[in-house]
Amino acid sequence: MKTKFHIKDLDLFFKEEKVLKQINFEIPANKILGIIGPSGSGKTTFLRALNRMNDLEDGTRIEGNILLDEEDIYKPDYDVVALRKKVGMVFAMPVPLPMSIYENVVYGVRLSGVNDSKLLDELVEKSLTASYLWDEVKDRLKTSGMRLSGGQQQRLCLARVLAMEPEVILLDEPCSGLDPISTAKIEDALTVLKKDYTIILVTNNTKQAARVADNTAFFLMGELIEIGSTGQIFTTPNRIETNDYITGRFG
Amino acid sequence: MQDNFNQQIENLKINLIKMASLVDEQAEKAFTALETGNVELCRGIKAKELEVNIYDNLIQTQCENILALFQPVAVDLRFIISVMMINNQLERCGDIAVNIAQRVKKTNEHHSLIAETQILEMGKQAREMLKNAIDSFINNNIDLANKVIDSDESVDKFNKQIFKALVLKMQNETQLIEPCAHLIVLTRHIERLADHATNIAENLVFYVNARIIAHKKKFEKWGVSDQTID
Repeated sequence: MKTKFHIKDLDLFFKEEKVLKQINFEIPANKILGIIGPSGSGKTTFLRALNRMNDLEDGTRIEGNILLDEEDIYKPDYDVVALRKKVGMVFAMPVPLPMSIYENVVYGVRLSGVNDSKLLDELVEKSLTASYLWDEVKDRLKTSGMRLSGGQQQRLCLARVLAMEPEVILLDEPCSGLDPISTAKIEDALTVLKKDYTIILVTNNTKQAARVADNTAFFLMGELIEIGSTGQIFTTPNRIETNDYITGRFG
Repeated sequence: MQDNFNQQIENLKINLIKMASLVDEQAEKAFTALETGNVELCRGIKAKELEVNIYDNLIQTQCENILALFQPVAVDLRFIISVMMINNQLERCGDIAVNIAQRVKKTNEHHSLIAETQILEMGKQAREMLKNAIDSFINNNIDLANKVIDSDESVDKFNKQIFKALVLKMQNETQLIEPCAHLIVLTRHIERLADHATNIAENLVFYVNARIIAHKKKFEKWGVSDQTID
């Protein structure tokens, strides 16, 4: 099984505060990793460390290494723009740009210099199909993305990430504001997408991790408490902290 | 939310214990009747079956509700699964107690035949197994559950020995064919009761230790494991 990310002795600091402590594990390619843990456990910080989003905050520094395809993404000459193209991200709140559905999807691709309309047309259909949105919007691609429902907007954001043809998709609570049907559509999309992408999903909904993730990691107070196959974590967790969290006894 | 869940789990456990007490009472009466020949004790065993069946349905409904409303995982999920399985086993034990009582009534005039074979020893052991299986569940006592599981083999041996002895009896004393036939059925019921007690104990092990140990001895005998089928 190919390893996509290799995290070695990772510590992450916001100014003097250590918010991630000695994280060590590997993330296999073409699988869905679910990351669960209570608020403040460091799961989103960890996710953002994987495409160096934390760099944007002053006072952030890391110790240890994060290897993507065996290359350290924190080495000084690493191309951060290329990294964020390779590692796309979907946020909790859908952020449609104030433009048409079509332009929303191709926004990043156009910025990177692609203007061939035939190529862009193909990319829009492919990305919207993969994000389970094509059938709902194919007849109104010129409509503003802002007019879509919350669930559709989130799938539009996923399509925008997919259009950049990344290798890894990071999702930070992608379904937190969505109804069960929209959530199911995102989850269905992820399950199909893992064939071509490595997916890392941070979620406060442990049931969502149980439904879609192949492996699940449990974070608590900046530490990786336990990682294992989702089946194992949700039936026979090895650590009492994991058991207490997934059974709702704390957190 | 968690308080509500804990309350529902507590209610479920209480109902299962109430049901187990009824079944235990049925078994106690049936085995005492067998031992003493006092068929009067058999009265009321059948009537208890109705109550047991009411608990059976109630517990099944409670489990379904908890699964639907709380979607438990890990140890909580194993508890619900165990309760569903034990509920089923207890209900069958109740039926078996009724069956034993019926056979006791039919063989009452042949108490010497019962005393002659090892049916009373077998009955005592099966009775003890059921009692211990119920106690192991109430107290989460793995040692007691393992004791129940280990006893099953001995009950099976009794069953085979008694069967042989009764067949021999039927061959030699044809006038005893009918009571012997009833006693063969009776020992079969006792053997099944011990099997259900074993299953209850195995379910407790599953709940507490997260290990499925059912059929383990057979798998070992045949040199296969539950991993054999993908």
